[in-house]
Amino acid sequence: MNTLNVHLFDLTTFLFGTATGSYVAALYGRKESLARIGTWICIAAAVVSTAAIGVRWAESYRMGIGRVPVTNLYESLVFFAWSINLFYLIVERKYGNRSFGAFVVPIAFLAMAFAFTIESGIQPLVPALQSYWLHAHVITCFAGYAAFAISAGVAAMYLLKERRGGDKTPGGVLAMFPGTRVLDDLVYKSIAWGFPLLTAGIITGAAWANFAWGTYWSWDPKETWSLIVWLVYAAFLHARVTRGWHGKRAAVLSIAGFAATLFCYLGVNLVLSGLHSYGG
Amino acid sequence: METTTEIRSEGVPIPKSGADRHVKTFGTEIWNFLISLKLAIWTLILLAVTSILGTVVEQNQPLEKYQQVYEDWAYNLIVRFNLFDMYHSWWFLFLLCLFALNLTCCTVDRFPRAVRAVRRPKLILDEATEKSIGLAERWKNKGTVPQLAKSYKNALSRSFAAPRITETEGTVHLYAEKGVVSRFGAYATHVGILIIFIGAILGNLFGFKSHMNIPDGAQGSHIDIRGGKEHVDLPFAVRNNRFWMETYPNGQPKEYSSDLSVIENGREVVRKTITVNDPLVYKGIWFYQSSYGQATATAQLSVIRPDGTPLGSFSLPANEPARIEGYGVIRGVAYEENFQGKGPALKVAVEKGGRSATEFWIPKGGFDLDRRRGDSAVISFGGLTSSMYTGLQVAKDPGVNVVWLGCLLLTAGMMVSFFGSHRRIWIRLSEAQKGKVEITAAGTTNRNRPAFEKAFAAVLIEIRKESPDKTKEIAA
Repeated sequence: MNTLNVHLFDLTTFLFGTATGSYVAALYGRKESLARIGTWICIAAAVVSTAAIGVRWAESYRMGIGRVPVTNLYESLVFFAWSINLFYLIVERKYGNRSFGAFVVPIAFLAMAFAFTIESGIQPLVPALQSYWLHAHVITCFAGYAAFAISAGVAAMYLLKERRGGDKTPGGVLAMFPGTRVLDDLVYKSIAWGFPLLTAGIITGAAWANFAWGTYWSWDPKETWSLIVWLVYAAFLHARVTRGWHGKRAAVLSIAGFAATLFCYLGVNLVLSGLHSYGG
Repeated sequence: METTTEIRSEGVPIPKSGADRHVKTFGTEIWNFLISLKLAIWTLILLAVTSILGTVVEQNQPLEKYQQVYEDWAYNLIVRFNLFDMYHSWWFLFLLCLFALNLTCCTVDRFPRAVRAVRRPKLILDEATEKSIGLAERWKNKGTVPQLAKSYKNALSRSFAAPRITETEGTVHLYAEKGVVSRFGAYATHVGILIIFIGAILGNLFGFKSHMNIPDGAQGSHIDIRGGKEHVDLPFAVRNNRFWMETYPNGQPKEYSSDLSVIENGREVVRKTITVNDPLVYKGIWFYQSSYGQATATAQLSVIRPDGTPLGSFSLPANEPARIEGYGVIRGVAYEENFQGKGPALKVAVEKGGRSATEFWIPKGGFDLDRRRGDSAVISFGGLTSSMYTGLQVAKDPGVNVVWLGCLLLTAGMMVSFFGSHRRIWIRLSEAQKGKVEITAAGTTNRNRPAFEKAFAAVLIEIRKESPDKTKEIAA
């Protein structure tokens, strides 16, 4: 039985799909007007998904469960996509360039498409999840993941442009991208937002574990993978200020970091087992 | 994050290359390796990559299990490299030590220089600095150097920060800075990580983790640690008054709770109901609700003489003997829920005066059910009561607050270094032709240059508003 919030999220999925189409078509056809449509669809998706989160929240209260909708895989995917979209719109506005859309919005679309295929009901919380730390933990982690998603999308753009001679060879699709310096800077800036968020996410998780399980760190696969992600981005941050490591290698590290993030988020639950098993 | 590179070239004497190259000993080479960013990057990457192993190989299982699951060569590797407990293996600890050493050496190497650079900033805008700074503007203005210096000082204080003034041979230099603290963010982050390590070590040395099961109504003060190799007797006892669980209407568990009392010197000193996310803390020891189960059942027995004189009532745990004066020793040895189709019954063994035990069944009910045995005592079985036990995770970690302190420092340092920036502005005023002053303004930031460019432009507008006439007014 699907309720209103799920219908609204399905609509959001559709909007992200359409926006992705618009942005990609805009790049292929070199039509700025298509990209502008993409922007408007993304704004619509932001409104619809925000409303959906609110409706889901209200519905959980009506069911007598009452909690912020950030407690299971479905809700985390939705929040992840919501954050990516929000960050993306900010970036697009700040940089006045819509070519990012074709690289970032598809990630939000895929997250929503995956959410579409899984259990979407509002379930009551098992005892271990009944903690205020849960909200702080999930929100900081996924806002961080969203920032990493943007960084990886832009890093892909950087590598594409770099391979074709960087800023020197104008023309073609790549001419619509911002300059490599701007791209490199944005790769860094997204991580400069994501890294403190991830750090806060790990610390709130540790604090919560200390309250629920009596140990702030137990090398459970999810914990370990979050540390792996943290280490990769820490390596990125140091690489960026080291001669011979900035630019291309830093972009590769950003993409590696996002791959680790995805594994930490989904792979651990699907492939490995551990304390976080209720997340999946 | 440009801090690190910039600090090296700023106000810091760069090692004299010519002479030093000859004396570059093995020691300095090791030191340069230990403080290098390359070591930092590679340690981080190595830690990340090796950590994956422990998430793929299940940790802390009995060795036989690995032998069953893995091929011989893989099993040998697992044993050789401690992969069954890799996060405590010698080589992983070695990597962590290298990481800590790298952090420590970097801090020792750079922190004093950073402090010096901040304490003694470059107050003078010389040719070299001017060239190295991209953001600079030159113009001329009517007036005298002291006059303009005074009014520019006010304008700079208003629009940016109060400047320090240095005079050299008729030239006046104004220097103002903001956000110095962002220079120290990286150090705070690094020291925070080291403090977390210290906290973890303290917890490992002086703390313990264990588990205890306490049946309803019982108390416990003895715990096994390190897999039963050591024992701890708490200076107090914990009594489980009651364990219970609540479920949602759909049957899913909603909450597990235990009503606990701390008993010290025979008195109850604390009483608290703990739930999964709400532990009991007493004298640095934390008790967490972690599991529950069915405690051993006890049989309720009453014994009388055939004439009705009571001999006693007992709660008899399974297989535990109870001595009854003037009769013998009773033991409950078996129980059946539906004995011969007539309901619950208990099988007891009675030993009288050293003779071998006789065993017989007593159905649940009154004394009459046992009278036909014709013994010197009549036993009635009042039924079996089974209670719950609560499973408590017991932990002591004297390092945990140190860890939180480290986390706080780490986060604060990160905020400062990612979102703050050290912005500096110099203004140099020197005499040009008669009645004119040549002015050079330059600005630099260690982060977020676009935002600084805007701020710098705004400061310039504010300064250039100071017309010579206005200057005179202020001067007069």
